[in-house]
Amino acid sequence: MLARVANNLFWMGRYIERSEHVARYLNVNYFSSLDAPNELSQSRQFVLQSMMFLVGEPLDDDSIILKEEDILFNIGLNANLPYSIINNVKYARENANSARDLISTELYESINKFYHFVIRYSIEDFTKKGLYDFTVNITEMTAILRGKIRGTLLHDEVYAIIMLGINLERATQVIRIINAKYNDAVKAKGSYGDKISNSFEWTTLLKCVESYDMMRRYYKKTPTSISTLEFLILNPDCPRSVINSINQVYKHIKVLDESKTPDKNSTAFLISKVKGEYEFKFAEEIEEDIQGFIEKILNSLVQISLKMENEFFTY
Amino acid sequence: MKPEVKKPIFSSYINNPALFDEVFNNDGAAKNVYQKLLDLYGNHSIQDYVQLNNKAKSSFFNQGITFQVYDNKETQEKIFPFDLFPRIIDEDEWEIIERGAIQRSRALNLFLWDIYHDKKIIKDGIVPLDLISSSANYLHQMIGVDPPGGIYNHISGTDIIKHSDGNYYVLEDNIRCPSGVSYVICNRTALKRALFGVFNHYKTHSVTNYAENLLDILESVKPKGVDVPNCVVITPGMYNSAFYEHSYLAKAMGVELVEGRDLFVENDFVYMKTIRGPIKVDVIYRRVDDQYIDPLEFRADSSLGVPGLFAAYIKGNVCLANAPGTGVADDKAIYTYMPKIIKYYLDETPILNNVHTYHCSRPNELKYVLEHIHELVVKPVDEAGGYGISIGNRLSKAEIKVVQEEIKQNPRKYIAQPIMSLSVHPTYIDDSESFEQRHVDLRTFTLLGNKKEFVLKGGLSRVALKKGNLIVNSSQGGGSKDTWVLKK
Repeated sequence: MLARVANNLFWMGRYIERSEHVARYLNVNYFSSLDAPNELSQSRQFVLQSMMFLVGEPLDDDSIILKEEDILFNIGLNANLPYSIINNVKYARENANSARDLISTELYESINKFYHFVIRYSIEDFTKKGLYDFTVNITEMTAILRGKIRGTLLHDEVYAIIMLGINLERATQVIRIINAKYNDAVKAKGSYGDKISNSFEWTTLLKCVESYDMMRRYYKKTPTSISTLEFLILNPDCPRSVINSINQVYKHIKVLDESKTPDKNSTAFLISKVKGEYEFKFAEEIEEDIQGFIEKILNSLVQISLKMENEFFTY
Repeated sequence: MKPEVKKPIFSSYINNPALFDEVFNNDGAAKNVYQKLLDLYGNHSIQDYVQLNNKAKSSFFNQGITFQVYDNKETQEKIFPFDLFPRIIDEDEWEIIERGAIQRSRALNLFLWDIYHDKKIIKDGIVPLDLISSSANYLHQMIGVDPPGGIYNHISGTDIIKHSDGNYYVLEDNIRCPSGVSYVICNRTALKRALFGVFNHYKTHSVTNYAENLLDILESVKPKGVDVPNCVVITPGMYNSAFYEHSYLAKAMGVELVEGRDLFVENDFVYMKTIRGPIKVDVIYRRVDDQYIDPLEFRADSSLGVPGLFAAYIKGNVCLANAPGTGVADDKAIYTYMPKIIKYYLDETPILNNVHTYHCSRPNELKYVLEHIHELVVKPVDEAGGYGISIGNRLSKAEIKVVQEEIKQNPRKYIAQPIMSLSVHPTYIDDSESFEQRHVDLRTFTLLGNKKEFVLKGGLSRVALKKGNLIVNSSQGGGSKDTWVLKK
């Protein structure tokens, strides 16, 4: 496979995954806040701020009043902002276009439909009444895309590259969502007598990554900070957990690098090292310094991505 | 409530007896080969047809078989207009077209070899030297170069029309980077999705075997010493209007689609940059024009090409299809010599007719042209895509003057031909929601390899959608039809 095309496929996977997480974050936060148990979590400003935090534009000044329609437009359909969903989808399709000969007709057609759905969506409808419809469609269409990727592509290098992109992005987005909701939990502390460990925000967090039902089945208890972090970071059976994503990344890098003992400068080596680190962690360690943990793992994920670029995408 | 009246599909078709209609005779009766098809389409009302037509359109759109239009800074995607009423070519007529297309491709190949080597045809006085030496497409860099397998025009697109006399004529040969073959395949797919029932009543040749034949042809011209050649398709990139076709062909052949920046040349061998390091490339189906393939040899400002590619080609280490420099032979001035070229190299009479052509470079013919512009089509010899063509009977007196002046300025640049009356075919027109006569041509695709040749049984029937228009190129608002070649 061409190095340039591999790079495009990797990013196609990343952008598809990213658009899904952003869309779901908007949906879950907005709708769960409507009947949240305390005043702060119910407040529109709190939710809008949280949305901006997730897309990497945190507000330094809480006194700025955010306008709901602006924020929704910017994150959803503002084509001039790199973090918007519409741009993620555009980038995903552009990357798919340049690798059109390698991906299946079925997958391409689905990406193309996805793209046309997003670019034709009326801005007015979206900001006034279409938030639910739009975001649910995004998450469903990305689910179709994942199905097409899995079911209509040969499970070879092309597939491995796309899956590397998807899983690295998933780990990154899950961490970012944890970070955003942790930040919310800290802010919501004290209102309604909440302790951070029992905050309502943990439930929202789990819903943001579609893991609430799985978590309930596993623990059969109301989520706390420890159980949530444990589940979303360290449980290998949770398909949205960080360790699950890292395990997937490890599995797919093995398709590209078949050596039994990878060179110490290789991507495979770095991934094994990161994987090893989180395999033997426990949630209390993470909770001690959650900020430090988040910074460290985000950095590790960036390093893996850079290493891949050097090893496979540039020549 | 009154029930909606459903009009049969051809109820308002107007048959102009001055035109050659491929489906209906002058008395309004359908030609034999179309009778069954008309019965089947007759089962649909025009409303049903509109619905089917819309479905077919969205199928093209969702598959991303589109081209880009720039309008007010916004990019819009449009589909190529496609007509759901197919054109049928029966087996006897097709046999003539196929033999004729191969004959022309072979003759052109021998001609190219000759003019880049011994130039016998010039020495023998058949083709004048200045026609070659004055052509911008004659590449002196190709003189004495032996292309692998001895083939120059691996892929030829021959534009053929049916004249009002019922005979086929060749309008032009395209042997640089002829495009359109992917639409032949898409048109068939779209028609099958929309009206699958009609295929049960006709034995139609498949068109999906093009890619496998193309790969065979490319592999047949591998460089010396290569066992299993590594073939690729090179594209100018995803913003090129034919990118869909490039990616389709690469996918259908199962080979890599590369851009210039994916390749490099080392010690006169060509490599592509893959995730596992460099891999040698042996045969390149290039969809990048001559002038852009190698900045070291041709246009230095080209970022689409590969530095050193041409040197590797001259050394015989890589094959380019089509060979550089083929453009000299699909020049519209060379076209007029085709009957002589066929006779000279193959000692055969041309199977397909040539349209009589006046060379403005010859003084007596120039005089005739200048006096008869109103009944001639004047074409620049070196433009593609239907640009620069003027059709005499549509010009005002002032416009005729302009054309006369342009020709006088640069006679070598122009040829003229009698206005040919292209046959017409019933075509669905959106605006009037009915079928109307529209002019149609046919582009056939011929492949020539080392001891192999192939003509795609089918082709691109291009329709001029504007009423009365004779120019069918898609860049000039043309649509297309699925084209059936019937089995014996």
